[in-house]
Amino acid sequence: MTGELYTEIILDLYKNPLNRGKIADADIEAHGGNPVCGDNVSFTVSIGNGIIEDIKFEGHGCAISIASESLLTEMVKGKKVLEAGKISREALFAELGNIIQTRVKCALLGLVVLKRAIEEYEKNGKKKTVVKGIIV
Amino acid sequence: MNPEKLRKDFPILERKFNKKKLVYLDNAATTQKPKQVIEAEKRFYEESNANVHRGLNFLSLEATEQYEAAHNKTAKFINAGGIEEIVFTKNATESLNLLAFSLGERLSKGDEIVLTKMEHHANLVPWQQLAKRGKVKLKFAGITEDGRLDLSDLESKISGKTKIISVTMASNILGTINPVEKVSGIAEKAGALFVVDAAQAVPHTKTDVKKMNADFIAFSAHKMLGPTGIGVLYGKEELLEGMEPFLTGGDMISSVTFEKSEWNRLPWKFEAGTPNIAGAIGFGAAIDYVSKTGIENIEAHEQKLLKLGMERLSEIKGVRLYGPVKGPRTGMISFNVGGVHPHDVAEILGESAIAIRAGNHCAQPLMNEMGIEGVARASFYLYNTAEEIGLLAEAVEKTKKVFGV
Repeated sequence: MTGELYTEIILDLYKNPLNRGKIADADIEAHGGNPVCGDNVSFTVSIGNGIIEDIKFEGHGCAISIASESLLTEMVKGKKVLEAGKISREALFAELGNIIQTRVKCALLGLVVLKRAIEEYEKNGKKKTVVKGIIV
Repeated sequence: MNPEKLRKDFPILERKFNKKKLVYLDNAATTQKPKQVIEAEKRFYEESNANVHRGLNFLSLEATEQYEAAHNKTAKFINAGGIEEIVFTKNATESLNLLAFSLGERLSKGDEIVLTKMEHHANLVPWQQLAKRGKVKLKFAGITEDGRLDLSDLESKISGKTKIISVTMASNILGTINPVEKVSGIAEKAGALFVVDAAQAVPHTKTDVKKMNADFIAFSAHKMLGPTGIGVLYGKEELLEGMEPFLTGGDMISSVTFEKSEWNRLPWKFEAGTPNIAGAIGFGAAIDYVSKTGIENIEAHEQKLLKLGMERLSEIKGVRLYGPVKGPRTGMISFNVGGVHPHDVAEILGESAIAIRAGNHCAQPLMNEMGIEGVARASFYLYNTAEEIGLLAEAVEKTKKVFGV
């Protein structure tokens, strides 16, 4: 039972997160957070021909949220923007492993922020989009 | 004082999580309730339930008597002059909002309010709202390296325009007990009103409003074994007398016409509508419990746990403790485990049925000032034991193991 929540993938991605950083002149810039716990995340995404060419994130928070954000960037890279906007929480949790009820919000922070930003980007006619202050 | 014996009064401490006995170390957030408090509320509903101050029936008189007795017990507990000086609110937050509103009415453009950088949001946001309405300016006294209030910085923030100084008596993060008597002297010299947020102090250390010469203090019942939904505003009678009410409506008036209303006598002027009667009676039982145990005994016990906890946690490599190393502080320890986010510390402690708080603790500006995202906080009360401190230290070690740090 000890540390069952903290699977190897979560601990690995927390300590050595993939795609951490910021893309200059990104097509999508999104920032959001959970005011209850204080965790927050920013994504920058560059898009070419409707495909996510690159994505980076900067996050502050617990291991679950950081690992989940990092994993999410890996999942969407190279995907069509439309497809990325449809990633389900189940798909994310399947990659992350065992997420218990009390930590679902931590694991979902990145996904909710990114999907909201993609929605705005589509609504915006695929023009450069900046979304800030998304409350999860 | 025998904590093992006291524990038997707290039914929740028998609960098990993951087959382990609950270790409740989140007392700065709220304390557990002894059966004496739970039974007092139950007894009221079963035997005496009626509305208060709407007399003219025997049951209402009985309820009113019990409700007023709770005010009396509170007045005695903090050495107030009488029940005229004890206003029951929902919580310390509401008490402070009442002050920001009613005192704010009397301020003029350009007036200044001095707070500190270690305030809980409850003693910050209501004043910010007042500042936003355009009249007053807020100034903040700094804190020293080791987490104490910087009195000379506070003095430097005082000007001829300072009308209110509002200071926490005990920090909810650092545990620091502030020298409120000295601050009161500074306020008096400046001709400013002195407000004390005593939410983290009254449950843990002897609080005497006369000795500290506070004009107002705010605290909550639920942090001292009482029910949630009951808070206290103490105010000097002559000051409360001159203030406009915050909430208005039933029970707080003496006469009403379609044109205007006259206010009821103190403290009822500030208690509009049907109050939390059962909660107040439960709070009375909580005060009885704390008084019987002895606030000095509680304080001494907490200090023992604090010393032991600081020793044990500082022995663990990579653990950083916050708050003053020397000097008065309450029984709480805020800490971080290097390389582990405080929420993850709380999660892993939870696997050992240890309940602590993690995060920014409603003190975001202080966290920014300290340059950290949050802390894990273990806070003690009369029913905690040395054995539980041992379990806490073990669980922190386990956290390090899980994270490989």
